[in-house]
Amino acid sequence: MPTPETSPASQPNPDAVIETRGFSKSYGKFLALDSIDLSLPRASVGLLGANGAGKSTLIRSLLGIIKPTGGSARVVGFDTQTQGIKVREHVGYMPEADALPMSTTAADFVGHMAEMSGLPPRQARQRAADILYQVGLGEERYRLIKGFSTGMRQRVKLAQAIVHDPQLVFLDEPTAGMDPKGRDEMLDLVERIYTTMGISVVFSSHILEDIERICDYVVILDGGRLIASQPLGDVNALTGEIALQLESGADRFAAALAEKGISAKRMESETSSYDQLLVRADDERVYDVVRDVAVAQHAVIRGMRSQARSLEDIYLGNVGAAREVNRVD
Amino acid sequence: MSTNPVNMPPEAPQRYGEIFDRGYKHYDGPRRGRRGAITSLIGYSMKRAMGIRKSWTAKILPFLLYVSITIPLIIMIGLTAIVPDLQFASYSGYLSGIFFIVGIFVATAGPEMICVDRHERTLPLYFSRAIARFDYVTAKVIAMTLLTMTMTVIPCVLLWLGRQLTADGVWQAMKDNIGDLGRVIFVGVLFAIVLSVLALAVSSFTNRKGVAITIIIISFLVLTAVANAGVELLDDMEWSRYLIALDLSSVFAAVSDHLFHDVNMEIVDRANFSLGAYVAYLIGLTVLGLIVLRWRYAPRDDA
Repeated sequence: MPTPETSPASQPNPDAVIETRGFSKSYGKFLALDSIDLSLPRASVGLLGANGAGKSTLIRSLLGIIKPTGGSARVVGFDTQTQGIKVREHVGYMPEADALPMSTTAADFVGHMAEMSGLPPRQARQRAADILYQVGLGEERYRLIKGFSTGMRQRVKLAQAIVHDPQLVFLDEPTAGMDPKGRDEMLDLVERIYTTMGISVVFSSHILEDIERICDYVVILDGGRLIASQPLGDVNALTGEIALQLESGADRFAAALAEKGISAKRMESETSSYDQLLVRADDERVYDVVRDVAVAQHAVIRGMRSQARSLEDIYLGNVGAAREVNRVD
Repeated sequence: MSTNPVNMPPEAPQRYGEIFDRGYKHYDGPRRGRRGAITSLIGYSMKRAMGIRKSWTAKILPFLLYVSITIPLIIMIGLTAIVPDLQFASYSGYLSGIFFIVGIFVATAGPEMICVDRHERTLPLYFSRAIARFDYVTAKVIAMTLLTMTMTVIPCVLLWLGRQLTADGVWQAMKDNIGDLGRVIFVGVLFAIVLSVLALAVSSFTNRKGVAITIIIISFLVLTAVANAGVELLDDMEWSRYLIALDLSSVFAAVSDHLFHDVNMEIVDRANFSLGAYVAYLIGLTVLGLIVLRWRYAPRDDA
């Protein structure tokens, strides 16, 4: 294990795998990262944002592949500006773009990458064989990479990123360009990296469901700004509301509920022909009240379910709010 | 028929295989850090440039070039053994003879080392490892120089050895000519460093191997032709002697002439610069090449 140097002035969080303060990157006048302040735990972190949100720029800046224009960052306890080599010794990186030599075998290349991370040749070869086995390329490891499918190439890229047993691995859009089956297998692999191998993961994607599936922490970027950084634990948690589908008379129903002290608001839906109400449900009593009102008004209830909060809600809520603030500013 | 008693457990089957747990294991072995990474990159680059662990077609050109420098070496040593007084095996003659072959070698190996990493976009992977950017350049320069030295130093050392072994008193000849050994190593190393750095510097401007090879070979041919034609046509102009700087083969011939006094070339005689001037010029070219490489591999936003 490395011995991270800590500066008393900055007081880094010892539990954080990544910490940034005012981390910025601009390309001329274009601000790609706008003063990002982050403190990420050892976890499977989803880095979410639309194309051009700054995900790849953040990863590449944290690795020292491109120079930030402002702020500071510590990755696995090392300062990215002054201890870049130490950072990279303990971190893995899987880029989004094709980055493999075609005329070499997977075993040779992954072994070479292990050596490039400081492993002695013999151990590097052994690790390469083991990791290629772990990513499902045990049998194919002596084949030339140019004969591999897209999914197999992604696995080679993943293998080279973890062959040196890093503490943290950055995966930049690892499912890009893969078919549904390959994507599913890749997500399983990524999930295993954190849960089984114990390597912290920063998983960049613009696909909400991928992040929802394998991550337990999410960082949302939009236009280079940090929009949210929070655990995903409250995703799928109940929101304390009930979605009610009525055949008709939603306004009358809402008014009756309001008389009994329960707030309800009408929801517009493009996909359903029924009237929809979102009913505040602070306790179990609300179900009895809904029943009583339905009986009293002879209302036909077509559906009733508890509302859960999805990552999409978090994303749209945060991004929408941030854009609104920017517009007002 | 086997006689296995009913109450006896069956004999354990002969063990012919074992099941291993291949779950993930953390690596807690040694880590060699930055130096190990650079060493690995040097070795890997040399192997790739020689076509090792690549298809057989990748090995053809290096093989032919090594054969091309070995045949004259064998002939020279053989003739010296048969006719010792012939003085056929001159170091300068050998170096001049193989210059073009070495030129082809660096023109093909240099782009193989530099352009392929750009073309296949493996640079971000390298720069995400335990090296600094200039470490990458350093490793490539060392790899290329070591490879080129196998063409410029080893054959010359063998030639020196051959000349001593075919002399009447072997040990005495070795003692008397130990200075020549130092000189052939010096010129071979100088030769290798300059050509390697220049080939890599030119290659760093493109990610197409074929383009880099073409540029290096054509530049070499054109500059050599311009230098020789200029010296020929402008022989009444004093400054025309500086044209030798354009022709690296003549510069190396001039260095050899200073060291071994056995070169007979008009362009070298016309130039008539000191050994120090030539060496300073070659070092200057090398430094320029390194500056270009450093600039080409400085951190960039498009890396």
